[in-house]
Amino acid sequence: MCTVVPISLTVGANRIVPAVAIPHPLGNPELPCDEEKLLRRALVEKALKALQTEVEGQTIFE
Amino acid sequence: MRLELGRINITDIRFGEKTEIQQGVLVINDAELKVLLADDPNLVGVDLDLAKPGEDVRIIPVKDVIEPRCKVEGPGGVFPGFISKVETVGSGRTHVLSGMAVVTTGDIVGFQEGIIDMSGPGADYTPFSKTLNLVVSITPLEGLPQHKHEHAVRMVGLKAAAYLGSAAVDLTPDQVEIFELGNFAENAVQYPTLPKVAYLYMLQTQGLLHDTYVYGVDAKKILPSLISPTEVMDGAIVSGNCVSACDKNTTYHHQNNPVIRELLLQHGKELCFHGVVISNENVTLADKIRSSDYAAKLVKMIGAEGAIVSEEGFGNPDTDLIMNCQKLEEMGIKTVLITDEYAGRDGASQSLADATTLADAVISVGNANEVIELPACKKVIGNLKTAEIIAGGFSGALHADGSIKVEIQAITGSTNELGFSKLRGEGF
Repeated sequence: MCTVVPISLTVGANRIVPAVAIPHPLGNPELPCDEEKLLRRALVEKALKALQTEVEGQTIFE
Repeated sequence: MRLELGRINITDIRFGEKTEIQQGVLVINDAELKVLLADDPNLVGVDLDLAKPGEDVRIIPVKDVIEPRCKVEGPGGVFPGFISKVETVGSGRTHVLSGMAVVTTGDIVGFQEGIIDMSGPGADYTPFSKTLNLVVSITPLEGLPQHKHEHAVRMVGLKAAAYLGSAAVDLTPDQVEIFELGNFAENAVQYPTLPKVAYLYMLQTQGLLHDTYVYGVDAKKILPSLISPTEVMDGAIVSGNCVSACDKNTTYHHQNNPVIRELLLQHGKELCFHGVVISNENVTLADKIRSSDYAAKLVKMIGAEGAIVSEEGFGNPDTDLIMNCQKLEEMGIKTVLITDEYAGRDGASQSLADATTLADAVISVGNANEVIELPACKKVIGNLKTAEIIAGGFSGALHADGSIKVEIQAITGSTNELGFSKLRGEGF
């Protein structure tokens, strides 16, 4: 999971889940707590799904 | 726009009863200046010191460096949006106190502040060992939030520079340089056979104290924009202080951007200087894509055939640099990039966080991870203990005898990406 997808591509990551922003990749301080929690859960679930997905070469999970 | 820079050569600085310039010697009424600078409810007070080339002095942690100036003819004033009201600068005449600088120090704001040694091996790495420096040590209220602390020290530096600059209002400059650039259409007609070159000027805008201001506007909130090179020379861009010391552009660097200066000097000779586009380096991918799209489009719209692109900082801004390069090259605009490297202490690691094969003309201004030993100095202005927490320093960097071992990343301006300093990397 990372914010700057081009860097993940450059370093050769296979499964890439785009994140929110460099200072807060897995959260968003502008959201109220309950909404932020939903955002965080969705990102983690997406990452878990990505882990279980077979890939051939570098794949971005939008 | 046509700007005259009238340089008053400052040959020495000292404290005295009245702030004035006497045959090149700047006398500073320190009592008056201290009162002026301490007039901020967020500050406990300020101290003033002098640091001159060759002295056994270390300044740490350095926040910003500013060149004192005053506006003597034409619209606007110094540091529009901060000291003067917002009004377009870059024309008329500005007087410059040449050979000196205001340096701000004091309690650390963030962790990316720097070192200036006035003598010894560290002095070779910073341009500000060669300037006569008025050093302002700033003490904030206890518990002041970092962003307010940063704002307070930024304003103190600008106020001090404006105060000193005003001593040059009525003086006759030692030399006057004239910089002028017409509009795109005029340039194209005047120099039809010369290559049209633009400058894409990337500004550090990552937030969390990594900011740059244009006419007082926080540049992370702008879309890339056109600016006259003489506006930049005349103080329209101000540093927000807290980026890694080696490759942040201090306000002094913005005022004296060597890329802009050389492009203006070569205009009509080797090339046709087609304009400056400022862009930012924000922290979301969408921002990076939007800004690089927009910046490349502006460079194309003004009709440039080539562009010089300078980065500020390192790490994720490498992606902004590479996006700018890629998009310009794909539009058929040739690029030259100016960047430093973070290639590890042995220089063997990948230099940038991002890459493209289209970046086939790159000027390296040095490897910021190189380690240097800086012997103890007789006098320290600021706080030596911060050597262990500034970027480029580390736990154990400060030795019992006062000497320090740091990466050159910690030295103000050592790998400046405008090419202001002396380091360069060579391919082999």
